[in-house]
Amino acid sequence: MILPVYRLTLRALLLQRRTIMLAVVVLAPVATSLIYALARPGGSDTVDFYSGIVQKLFVPAVAALVALVFGVSAFGDEREDGTILYLVATPQPRLELVVAKVAAAWTASLVLLVPSLVLSGLLGLGSAASLRLIGWPLLGVVLASLAYCSASSWLSLKTRRPVVIGVIYILLWEGSVATYAASAAKLSISAYGSAFVAHALPQSAPPVAGLVPSALVLAAVVVLAAWGAARSLARAELP
Amino acid sequence: MSAPAIEFTGVSRWYGDTVSLADVSFTADAGVVGLLGHNGAGKSTTLKLCAGFSTPSTGTVRIYGDNPRRNPDVYRRVGIVPDHSPPWPFLTAREVVELSARLHKVPDYREAAARAIATVELEPAADRRVAGFSHGMRQRVKLAQAIAHEPDLLLLDEPLNGLDPTQREHVISLLIRLGEQGRTVVVSSHVLHEVERMAPRVLVLVNGHLVAEGSTAGIRQLISERPRRVLVTADNARALARELMSSAAVDAVRIADGAIEVETSEPSQLSRELPAAAGRTQSLLRLIRPVGDDLESVYTYLHERARGQAR
Repeated sequence: MILPVYRLTLRALLLQRRTIMLAVVVLAPVATSLIYALARPGGSDTVDFYSGIVQKLFVPAVAALVALVFGVSAFGDEREDGTILYLVATPQPRLELVVAKVAAAWTASLVLLVPSLVLSGLLGLGSAASLRLIGWPLLGVVLASLAYCSASSWLSLKTRRPVVIGVIYILLWEGSVATYAASAAKLSISAYGSAFVAHALPQSAPPVAGLVPSALVLAAVVVLAAWGAARSLARAELP
Repeated sequence: MSAPAIEFTGVSRWYGDTVSLADVSFTADAGVVGLLGHNGAGKSTTLKLCAGFSTPSTGTVRIYGDNPRRNPDVYRRVGIVPDHSPPWPFLTAREVVELSARLHKVPDYREAAARAIATVELEPAADRRVAGFSHGMRQRVKLAQAIAHEPDLLLLDEPLNGLDPTQREHVISLLIRLGEQGRTVVVSSHVLHEVERMAPRVLVLVNGHLVAEGSTAGIRQLISERPRRVLVTADNARALARELMSSAAVDAVRIADGAIEVETSEPSQLSRELPAAAGRTQSLLRLIRPVGDDLESVYTYLHERARGQAR
């Protein structure tokens, strides 16, 4: 019975005003690539530019932020307005409710992220654009955003300030600590997402792990966070 | 023997320093049960605990012998109308009710939803979005989603709020009918006459304490037996007060600012004797007004009475 809850949540997420704000956020890399494409200096390396956009802006900031907001909203908004009661007061297994919510948050994230990344790639790479150069970063974003959605859904059922905690994690931990300390990067979702980017694009530092270990870590984050969210949902104090 | 629909055993719930419910025990089975109390008495907390939306600080809550927080399957038999939570505003009434029936695993959920919508008389607005509904219409959507899967237990938090008199009549008859069908219907309200029309049994909560429990008639009797105070303003106040002191209907008399405050356990007898006493003392009665006859005072009396009995 995942489908009705998935459709309901997706509709709620895409109809909220925050989606317009997030659409502006995902336009940032597209706008940057467009400016670059229009004013490209002669002899500049388009792959280097695109690599910078993806690794410094898209994966660690844009994708993380969009997935965080949708992941938190999937449960957070319903907890706030009380509509969560109508879902909880049903015989649906809690894990199924969480899976439906995370899947909806992930879909909503991809609705914004995929066109943004593809457009940024096409504009930034120009004639150098290829399936490989856009496909591998896209895979990294798709997997990392799923992990962010699952983790932030859990966070929204666990704390009262999920967005604040999520932003601190993204900016302070992933954006600062993990970029300097290699061991800290092992606890960074974006670092594992970037491992897929590294498969196609040049990187300044070696990836935190190979493709398979990175995929496994991200999958583990998704499963553990969903399981934790289901437990938190069963114990949550509801309005 | 099957487990009762609701079983509260020594249930307390506190939030920080605030005690919302204190050592409450009761069971509820087939029929309509009224949960009566002023705002903040603990009615919503009781219903939240029944619904599995909260965990008791101490004690146990069982719904059909099960803990709903551990076993969501119990919700197949439970329908809930929360007080402050309107359904998703972007859905139509039909979508809300169909979703509820579907999530409650009703095989023909469309048919069940149509039936529930017809029961609450919401058919003309069924395909309109909830966002544009009045409070009363939202209440009916909430009711429809709660009854669509034909639950054995209905938990309704102030279901008559926002309904016009005709809708109230309709909902009251519906709840009476559901109770007569052998379902357990728990209705919270702070209005006694509303509850007594539909609930043969009442639980009265005051400041988180279950202060009275029993038949509606019994509770009404308790309330009518409580001492009353009546303020009387008359020309010859002192003489009238003296005369009233000799009446068996009067427990105490006090004069303050020229007015007489009479305490009585027999208000009807007092109402007969007061004009006679005024006539005998040649006092012109100018004002007769009950004091502390509001619902809050009634609850306070029941609370004090329960505490007195406990001591």
